[in-house]
Amino acid sequence: MASTEGFVEADNAEAIITRIEHKSRKIESLLKQSKPVEALKTALEGSPPKTRDERCKSANWIVVHRALMAIKDVEGLLSSLDAEYYDILMKYLYRGLSTGDRPTCDQCLRIHEKLTERAGLGCILRCLADTVNTV
Amino acid sequence: MANTLRLYLTCIRNTLEAAMCLQNFPCQEVERHNKPEVELKTSPELLLNPVLICRNEAEKCLIETSINSLRISLKVKQADELENILTKKFLRFLSMRAEAFQVLRRKPVQGYDISFLITNYHCEEMQKHKLIDFIVQFMEDIDKEISELKMSVNTRGRLVATEFLKQFL
Repeated sequence: MASTEGFVEADNAEAIITRIEHKSRKIESLLKQSKPVEALKTALEGSPPKTRDERCKSANWIVVHRALMAIKDVEGLLSSLDAEYYDILMKYLYRGLSTGDRPTCDQCLRIHEKLTERAGLGCILRCLADTVNTV
Repeated sequence: MANTLRLYLTCIRNTLEAAMCLQNFPCQEVERHNKPEVELKTSPELLLNPVLICRNEAEKCLIETSINSLRISLKVKQADELENILTKKFLRFLSMRAEAFQVLRRKPVQGYDISFLITNYHCEEMQKHKLIDFIVQFMEDIDKEISELKMSVNTRGRLVATEFLKQFL
């Protein structure tokens, strides 16, 4: 079971990374059109599920980070984002907070406060408890 | 500046409120033993994801939870050498008196200045929101204490130097 999963991982990793590159190009164009909310939605949508590969996760994180830093209006973002993306967004926020880079942390802290108000403590706890789908 | 502090503390408070769900869990390996699982890390199914919350490059807070215990490690902002020494001495002073604090850990985790260990027994005896208030209040007060200490050291140094050098006038 684990070995077949490993096999699938190797093939999938390349496919996932190409997909992420496509996504990043789409996000760049969305950001140029000043649509940061759509950009973030696209970034969160194709989050690779159940990948162990660090490269895929890092690649996706870079894309999400780009979209997150472009956000200026947090309230608008959260009102237009669907509830199913709250959990993934929270995981990426914690990843951003662990980087220690000042502007990233500022932005992540701002969004974290508003997101907790909206999604509640359950969102944080799901993020802590989910050891399988880490980001 | 004050705004980021407020956001940082709010983030830590929310994370602690979510993470502080502790229950009694006797040790699985040794019978009749009850150990804080976050310290031992023997069984991965009992541990939650550790979370690192950084305010900037200098200040961060690591929160590790498990089924029966929660460990919070803080790194306090240290602008120069003097603050470095003052922080180390002051926090060592507190850590040596960890018995009185109950939730304090005697030695900070590697890479951090001070650590707290909260177990399910603490949550049973004391109120959860009061514990969280204590931790957040501690973080606010530490900065003030260190600046006060630094100011008093500088003042004392200046007075001593003035007095000493008067004899050479």
